[in-house]
Order: sequence, then C-alpha cells, then structure tokens
Amino acid sequence: MHNESLSKKNVFHLKKITGSKAFSTFTAALLAILLGLVFGFIVMLIASPPNAVPGIFAVLTGGFRRIADVIYYATPIMMTGLAVGFAFKMGLFNIGASGQYTMGMFFAMYAGFFFNLPRGLHWIVCVAMGMLGGLLWGLIPGVFKALLNVNEVITSIMFNYIGMFLVDMWIQTTPGMYVADKARTAYLPASAQMPSLGIPNSGVNISIFIAIAIAILLFIVLSKTTFGYELKATGYNRHASTYAGMNGKRNIILTMAIAGALAGLGGAFAFLAPSSIPGSSVTYEPINVIAPNGFNGIAVALLGNSSPIGIIFSSVFISHIQRGGTQARLFGYEYEIIDVVISVIIYFSAFVMLMQEVAKKALRQLLDSLKRSFGKKGAEKASDAQPAAEIMAEPELSEVEKEGQK
Amino acid sequence: MEDNYIIEMLNITKVFPGIVANDNVTLRLKKGEIHALLGENGAGKSTLMSILFGLYQADSGEIRKNGKVVKINNPNDANALGIGMVHQHFKLVEIFTVLENIMLGDEPTKLGFLQRKQARERIMKFSQQYGLEVNLDALIEDISVGMQQRVEILKMLYRDNEILIFDEPTAVLTPQEIDDLMEIMREFARSGKSIIFITHKLNEIMAVADRCTVLRKGKCVGTVNIKDTTKEELSRMMVGRDVSFSVNKADANPGEVVLSVRNLSVPSSIHKTNAVRNVSFDVRAGEIVCIAGIDGNGQTELVYALTGLERPSGGTITLCGRDITRASIRNRSKTGMSHIPEDRQKHGLILDYTLEENLVLQRYWQPEFQNKGFIRFDAMRSYATRLIDQYDIRSGQGPVTIVRSMSGGNQQKAIVARELDKDHKLLVAVQPTRGLDVGAIEYIHRQLVSDRDAGKAVLIVSFELDEVMDISDRILVMYEGEIVGELDPKTTTVQELGLYMSGAKRSTVKEMSYA
Amino acid sequence: MNSNDLLKEFIDVFYFIVQNMLPVAIPLLLVALGGMFSERSGVINIALEGIMLFGAFFGCLFVYYVQNTGLNPQVILLLGMVIGAISGFIYSLLLSVAAVNLKADQTITGTALNLIIPAGILLFSRMYFNSDGVTTRVRFYISKIPVLGDIPVIGRLFFQNTYITVYIGLLLLVICTIFFYKTRLGLRLRACGEHPHAADSVGINVYRMRHLGVGLSGILGGIGGFFYAVGIMDGNVNGHTGVAGFGFLALAVMIFGQWKPIRIFFAALFFAFFRTLAPSRSLIPFVRDMNINAAYFKMLPYAATMVVLAFTSKKSRAPKAEGIPFDKGQR
Repeated sequence: MHNESLSKKNVFHLKKITGSKAFSTFTAALLAILLGLVFGFIVMLIASPPNAVPGIFAVLTGGFRRIADVIYYATPIMMTGLAVGFAFKMGLFNIGASGQYTMGMFFAMYAGFFFNLPRGLHWIVCVAMGMLGGLLWGLIPGVFKALLNVNEVITSIMFNYIGMFLVDMWIQTTPGMYVADKARTAYLPASAQMPSLGIPNSGVNISIFIAIAIAILLFIVLSKTTFGYELKATGYNRHASTYAGMNGKRNIILTMAIAGALAGLGGAFAFLAPSSIPGSSVTYEPINVIAPNGFNGIAVALLGNSSPIGIIFSSVFISHIQRGGTQARLFGYEYEIIDVVISVIIYFSAFVMLMQEVAKKALRQLLDSLKRSFGKKGAEKASDAQPAAEIMAEPELSEVEKEGQK
Repeated sequence: MEDNYIIEMLNITKVFPGIVANDNVTLRLKKGEIHALLGENGAGKSTLMSILFGLYQADSGEIRKNGKVVKINNPNDANALGIGMVHQHFKLVEIFTVLENIMLGDEPTKLGFLQRKQARERIMKFSQQYGLEVNLDALIEDISVGMQQRVEILKMLYRDNEILIFDEPTAVLTPQEIDDLMEIMREFARSGKSIIFITHKLNEIMAVADRCTVLRKGKCVGTVNIKDTTKEELSRMMVGRDVSFSVNKADANPGEVVLSVRNLSVPSSIHKTNAVRNVSFDVRAGEIVCIAGIDGNGQTELVYALTGLERPSGGTITLCGRDITRASIRNRSKTGMSHIPEDRQKHGLILDYTLEENLVLQRYWQPEFQNKGFIRFDAMRSYATRLIDQYDIRSGQGPVTIVRSMSGGNQQKAIVARELDKDHKLLVAVQPTRGLDVGAIEYIHRQLVSDRDAGKAVLIVSFELDEVMDISDRILVMYEGEIVGELDPKTTTVQELGLYMSGAKRSTVKEMSYA
Repeated sequence: MNSNDLLKEFIDVFYFIVQNMLPVAIPLLLVALGGMFSERSGVINIALEGIMLFGAFFGCLFVYYVQNTGLNPQVILLLGMVIGAISGFIYSLLLSVAAVNLKADQTITGTALNLIIPAGILLFSRMYFNSDGVTTRVRFYISKIPVLGDIPVIGRLFFQNTYITVYIGLLLLVICTIFFYKTRLGLRLRACGEHPHAADSVGINVYRMRHLGVGLSGILGGIGGFFYAVGIMDGNVNGHTGVAGFGFLALAVMIFGQWKPIRIFFAALFFAFFRTLAPSRSLIPFVRDMNINAAYFKMLPYAATMVVLAFTSKKSRAPKAEGIPFDKGQR
C-alpha cells in the first residue's frame, strides 16, 4: 500500500509532463528524426550492406569530431529555418527561402566586391545588403499573395527559379566577381569577411551569435508584441483577424518581407564567412541549381515546431547529421544520403498530430513497463493492480486532451 | 400494434469525447405516420438521426426494421433499407446540375458510362407525381433554397426510400413554403411512406405530426400522441421548465439616427449580379431593428458591407454622421460599430487563442492593452477577469482557457461580452442565438434589449421568425437583395411577414421616404 | 533580303516552333491532368515534380537496361511509359496514404516527396553509374511518319521531327476528358473535391475516390516525367536538374486551365510556347538581333506563370474541399 501511494504520485507527474504540448511536439520531432534515420539506414543497407553499420555510425557521431564546422554550417540553415518558421506562424508556407537566400548571397557578395569601405564596417554593410536582397525576394510573394490572391507556394517556387537564373546570370556577367576558368566566384576581400572566432581549420565566425540573437528577438516579437499577436491570430484564423480589423494585407507583405530578410541573412552568413586559408573565401558555383539550404530550412522549421528557440536547436541538429554525412563518404556513401534522411524527416513531420499521439502512447507504454519491472522487485502482487488504477484515471485526461486538439 | 413499427431504435447510446449525445434513447416509427422528433439545439436529435442514417454507429442499443435487427454501417446500408434523409445543411454539390446531384451515388450506367437520359426520366416521374418542380439542368448554386430542398426530397424518392427523415426542413422556408412542404409530407404519409420530422418549432408539430418523441440533453423524455397534448406540455418536456417565449421589454424610445444606409449595392461572390440592390434604411439610437428574410436573400452581403468585410459596389453608409462606406474595419470599430458575426467560429473567435486573448480581440491595440507595441499582459488579465465575471462566461480554466474547448453557448457569450463592453454606438448582430439552448437564448436577448435601453442602436439579422417578432421594435424584410417592406411587430402577423419574405407582397411607400 | 526569303524564313520558324512545342506541351498537359484529378478529388498535389522525376528515372533505367537488346525504339518507349506510369503510381501512394488516411499536411508531404527523389537519384547514380543520373542512347526521335508526314502543311506541322509521345498524349487527353465527364467514377471523383460530405451521404467512399484521384495523378505524372525525359532531355535523367520545375509549371497550367481538361490543354500549349522560345531564339530574326542573355529565356516560363496567375487568381475557383482532410465525424 505504501508502494502504491508513492507510485500514484509519480504517475501524476509523468502525465503532467507527457500531456504538455511542448513535450509532445518534442517527442514527435524525435520520432520523425528516428524514422528518417531508420529510412536512411535502410537505404544504406540496400546500397552497400557491409558498410551500413559503420556508415550510419559516422552519420550520427561524425559531427562531434567537427563541432566548429557543425556550428558554422548551422548558421545559414538557422536563418532559412527562421524564414520558413516565421512565415509558418502566420499560416504562410515560405518554400521560397532558397531564392531569398540566393538573392541575399548575391547582394552581400556584390557589396563585398564593389563597395570600398573600411575594415570593420565593410562586412556589416555586406550583411545588411544580404538582408535587403532577401527582403526584396520575400516581398514579391507577399505582394502577389496579399494583392492578387496568388498562392504563395507557387509564387515562391517560381521565384526560386527566377532568382536562381538571375543571380547566376548576374554573377557570370559581372567582371571582377566571376573567375571564368574556375567557373566560380572570386575570393572576397578580407574586409568583407565576417570576424572569425579563431578556431583553426574552421570558418566559424560571429554570425552564429547574430543568428541566435535574431532568433531570440523573433521569439520576443512573437510572444510579447501586438504584431506577434496579430501574426499568430492571422495564422490561426485569417477570417477572424480580418473581422478584428487587423490589416491582413499589410501583415502578409510584412511577414514575407521579414522572412525573406531572414533567409537573405542566411545567404550572407554562408558566403561572407572567413576562410581558414588566408587570401581565400567561400565561393559560389553558378550551375543553375536551386540552393538546397532553403529546403533544409523547411526541415529545420518543422523540427523546431516553428518556434524560434526550437529552431536554434533543430538547425544545430540538422547541421550535425550533415557533417556526419560527409564522414559517411569514407564508407562509400555519397553525401546525398543526408538529403534523403532530411527529406524523410520532413515527410514524417507532416503528420505531427498523428506522430504526437503515437509518440505519447509509445512513451507512456515505455514508462509503464519500466515502472512495472521496477515495481516487481518490491512486490510481485502490486504490479497487477497498478496499471488498472492508471486506466481508471485515463478518461479524465484524454477528454481534456481531445478537446484541446479539436 | 407492435407489428406496425417499421423502424425501432432501441436504447441507443452514443458518446462523443466529453459529451453523451444520446443516452439510452428509444424511438419507434409506425408505418405511414409523421413522427416529430423534438428537442433543443444540442439535445441529440441530429446525432440520433445520423445513427439511423449510418453516418455514425451507436455505442450500444439496436435498430430494428419490421421487427428484425439490422446493422447500419454507412449511408449505403440505410439506403438499402429504404431510409433517406434531407439534411439540415443540404448535401448538394454546388457546381453540379440538379440532375447530377440527384443521381449521384446511384447512377444508371452502361459499362461505367453515365446514362443521364434514364435518370432524367425517372426523376421527372416523381417530380410530376408529387408536384416537386425543379429545373434538372440548372446548377445548384443558381437555384433558390426552396428548390434545393426539393432536390433533396427528390433524391430520396429517386432511391425509392420509404422512411424519410427531414432534419429541420422549415428553417430555410417562408411560412407559405412551409405550408406547401407540410402538404407534401402529408401526401407522402398517405402514400404509405413513414416520416421522421426533426424540429424545435412547436406550431409545426401541432399542425402536421401524428406523434412526437421529445429529447432533452441526450435523454429521451417521452413519446406522446399529438391529439392528446398541448403546445405548453411539449415545451415543458423539451426544456424541462416553463418558458416564457416572449421577451419582456419596454417600448422603444428612438433617438437620433446612428446608422444611415443609402442606395447600397453589394456584389455577389458567386454571380455577376448584385447580392444587395439599392438598399436604404436608418437605425436610430435606442431601437432594435430586425432584418427578416429567408437565408440567402442578401442579408449576409449587406452585413459584410456594413461591417467592412466586403466592398459595396454603390451607395453610402453613414455611421454617427461619418461616411464610412470605404472605411477600414478598424476605423468602423473606432467610429462606434460593434459586430456579433454570423459565424462565430469563422469570424468571431480565434479558437486556438485563450479566452483572455479573444476578449481583447477588438481592443488589443488600445493604449490600455499595449505600450509601444508590447502587450500589457496584466491589464489583459484583469480586463478578462472582469468580463468573465460580469457576463458569466463559464470555462475550464478561466482567462487562460483555450476557447476551442468551450461550449458554443459560452463562446457566444464571450463574443457578446466583448462587443457590448467595447465603446460602441451601433451593434450589428447576425443570428446571435443560432444553435444555442433556451437558457442562452434568453440571456442573449436580455443583453440585446439592455444594450438598446442604454441608448445604443441595434441592428439584428435573423432567420428565425419568432425571434424577429419577439425582439424587434421595427422589422425590415429583405427579398432578393432588396428591402421589400417595413413592418411594425406590434401590428403585423407572421403570415403577413411571410408574404413579404417570399416576395409575394411588397410596399414601396416606406422606401420612398428615404430617397 | 527580299520579302520572299523573309516569308520563307518566317514559315520555317513557325514549323520549327510547332514541332518543338508539342513534345514540350505533352508532359505539361499530362502532369497537369494528373494534378487536376488529384485536386478535383480533394488532395493538393504539390509532389508532381517528384512524381515526374520518379517516373522519368525508372523509365530511363528501363531504357538503359534494354537499349542493347535491339528492340524497336518506339516499343521501348511504350514499355518505358508503362514503367514510368507504374513507378509514378507507386510513388503517389506515399502522398495518398499520408494525405487521405493519415490526414497529413498535404503541402509539406508533397514538398518532402519532391526533395527525396533528386537526392535519391544522385545517391544511387553516383554509387552505381558514377554519374549524376541515367544516360541512354536510344533514338526515339521520328524525322517523318510515313504517309501522314507527306500531307502538305499538316504533315510537316504534326508528323515530322516529332516524338510518338505527342500522339499518346493527345489520346490520353481524350480518354481523361471522357472519363472525367462521362463516367460514374468521374462524377463521383469530382463530387469528392467539392463536397465530400455530400458524396459520403449518398454512400460514396470518399477515401477511395481520393486514392483514385491521387493514383491517377501518379500514373499521369509518371508518364509525363518519362515523356519529359524522352522529348526534352533526349532520353536522359539526372538528379541535379531533375525535371526543371515542370511539375510546378504543370500546377500553374492546371490553375490557368481552371481544373478543366480542355482548357488545360490550351494552357499547356501556351506555356510550351514560352518554353520553346529559348531554343528557337537564334532562328527568329528580330529576337536574334536583340542579343538577349540566354538566362532570360530560361526564366520566361516561370515569369509567364506569374503573369498569368496574377491575372487569373482573383477569379479562379479551386475545388472547394481541396487540401482539407476528409473526416467522417465532422459535418
């Protein structure tokens, strides 16, 4: 009896935790990741069976050996993730982060090559220019959506292509920016590169701190301001936000412009990074391919549940397995295995609700069975009675839950 | 006698998350009778019929046809047993023709190809037999609500159904159309079909039904013969107490004009014509003006134009002396307009927000609730607490309750509280009591009257004739986008109102006075 | 240059454009028809791009393995089409199961499906072919169809320098139109995209109809993808360029065509015209003289899409219930 009262208290706490919304979103994200990795492992098994185990091990742990790189590559996708997630909060699917990212990159690079500014100021102007480029490219789908009622998904996709073709053309036709025999952009002047954190053999720089600061700023905007209130209201119920006198058109344009600016910053951060080899810098190859970092942003945003704080962590995670993916090359797997894993994660994130249910159930069963085996040590008999007591308590909770999910 | 029952629903129980919709309900339908199913909104009538029609499955209990137990797992099973249903919200595909809608699901085919001619002949036969006139080649979106209902009835006949369920069929009809429908129902009964007639209108039951089963809060209160009962007894059975149907209110004391509408036209979202045509009227401080009419005659569009949800194509709207024809919604709100919208879940509330966040939905931008763009959460909380108290809004967790989890009545109370407490001169309320139970209806009517007594102008759009007659000081009737009559509820009758609503009668004299 | 030469050049350019336009229009047409079936049944299919690529990849893989058997190229094409259709159908199951049974977000699911395939193709092609995709060398091109190709004007317009895909595509258009409007399944499918609860109330299995709609989009998308590889990529497929946004353009074609088959056909021709301008630009005298950067021509279809959508979206009427998972309980 003494045992029972103790475990009841325990159950109550567990339910409080497993019942909370944030927790179930978290477990759902974990489940999506797990399924993505399992799928990746299966693909690896099919592709090359003997290497699959060390291969997946490399994917999972490779990043730990290159933490500075994980951070460096996390920064741009944190920004594209924020670009997707911020628009998501308003109910807009910004699949155009790629185009905005590319446009941001071009603007930043252009400023890097052709603006003659003192050290210390030059890179800041470049970053601002990148933001401007992305902003313009985000503004367009916003305007099309708000004023002409064109679905933002299609506009974004079309402007991914248009942006990519434009930037590639501009780069190839701008002398001083493009090295024709290498088919790549030239190295940026040192003054345009962002201050390094000084970690050897790594491009990690202060942009990670800027990115995290922006994420926190967005968190404050979303949860504490009237703009955030309007934005989320519009995302939940567009009709009601109109009814309440919110300027839906202005908010759509504003949100898309902000989202574009965020993705544009991602493009700037990625290409203004200092190189570990003096005199060089990150270069871009104009081969008419849409920037994958925009799509990685979708995965980041979904895993982070569109919350700016969640996105900080999910971007680091995605970057981690990406770095791991480069290690899997040692075992004969192409880097694209990670793209497969990431897209599978996106696929499973699409049924979050269902995943939450499954995750919750699985977790509870796990905890229950753990508890039962734990309890068996003390009293064999009580173990049967305990689950019954829990089932009794169940309906109360599930009612509340279901109401919350309607 | 027992052999006479064509359908028996015995001890039906159906539980939805959080609510027992049907609790041990029994309903027996005799062959050839018109059996009324009476109950308030939310009493479980629709659930019970959805079970009979195979849309839901009962958790316990059984259904018998002619004494034999049957399983009804889907509408196909119901159809095979001869059970058909006219749903309250018509189940018609708007972009299909009448013919396509009637044959859908039971199409005559040859090698998978549709045989439209065959279907057409079959439908014409029934159409002539019962005098149900329809245009088979018209699109549903182009025909009147009355004709849409005839399409639904023909759907049942086309399937040779002998048990016909009518779910609130009179809500969308004029009094004259209601008479016609009742005649058709009697005709069906005479030809041996059995009818279940779902309603909450007592007069209609007294006029047409043979027997009546009453539900209250999911439970079966009893079945009575109409011959042996009275309206008062039925209403007691339905509500569980005596109710006064009339609203107690003093005579109106109209002051100056608050809202003035002149020659207003509003385009239709579906058709090329205007949904509202050249409408003019005034609403004064201290009076309740009701716009009566059958749903779909331009009321929704009129309100959208008044409240700014849609742009008018012509005319002017003046509120408190200011021309607001092209003003933004926020501006109208600032000028003194409050709006209780028709669809509370679509327009009125953000269901995933908390109650307190919803209560400031019209005011969050005011200095009281924000400082340089940052929300003042403490002010929001104390304001919400006051409204919850004052308007008796019940919820699980008070201000932080997610509105989605609240009952319909309390959701509506939250909207009423928000709109009445806001500084306003004019209240526009559309169907303010739709889908609520008697207690909530009485409450909201009282609030509307006290708002009037506080000197506000109140404009109500309602499709419920009783509500219109009870609460208004003045009635404007809308028909096909025009105001066809202005009536005084004290001197007019429901029948006269009906004539205006159906377009049979119109007075142009009053209209002239606004020109 | 005298006026006679100018006229002759003009006519040549006209023939060239029409001959090149049709093999481009057909994949757009078929994929847009696929999108139409899916959306009219109630499921937004943004995964068309991925479905196309999946069909193209397996179609080309098949061609790769049989190209040395000496089979007639047109027979190989037909068999490849069947392979493309089957693989497109299988891939579309990932969307229909997620969207119809699991009530997932249709846009996100579709986006994921678009992303998996290019990565998968690159992965496998690099590991097994040491390239970015599959390269085949069967000549599907037909310079002239016997008899028909000799008919004056029409023969040169429609039966010379072409692919068999054009005729299969037009045949499929006729079949789809009849199926859509004249059969029981077509009627029921359309009801499910407009008012699924009405369909449900007359005993139609909405889930099954939506599976049918998505399945058809998979079949047509797979065929369209393979036809893209045949008619535009010379029988090749690679993971980098994929199908160059044709799946998305097909969505625009479908919207421009107002979700109706015949209008979609004309919309596809319209878009194909813009796509054909890029390879034709050096032939058209005044365009050639303007010396415009090739990138602008590459952008043209996408820009044209935006212009068209800007003008049509305000009045366009999408299927009412598209994108909303069907739930029997809610009414």
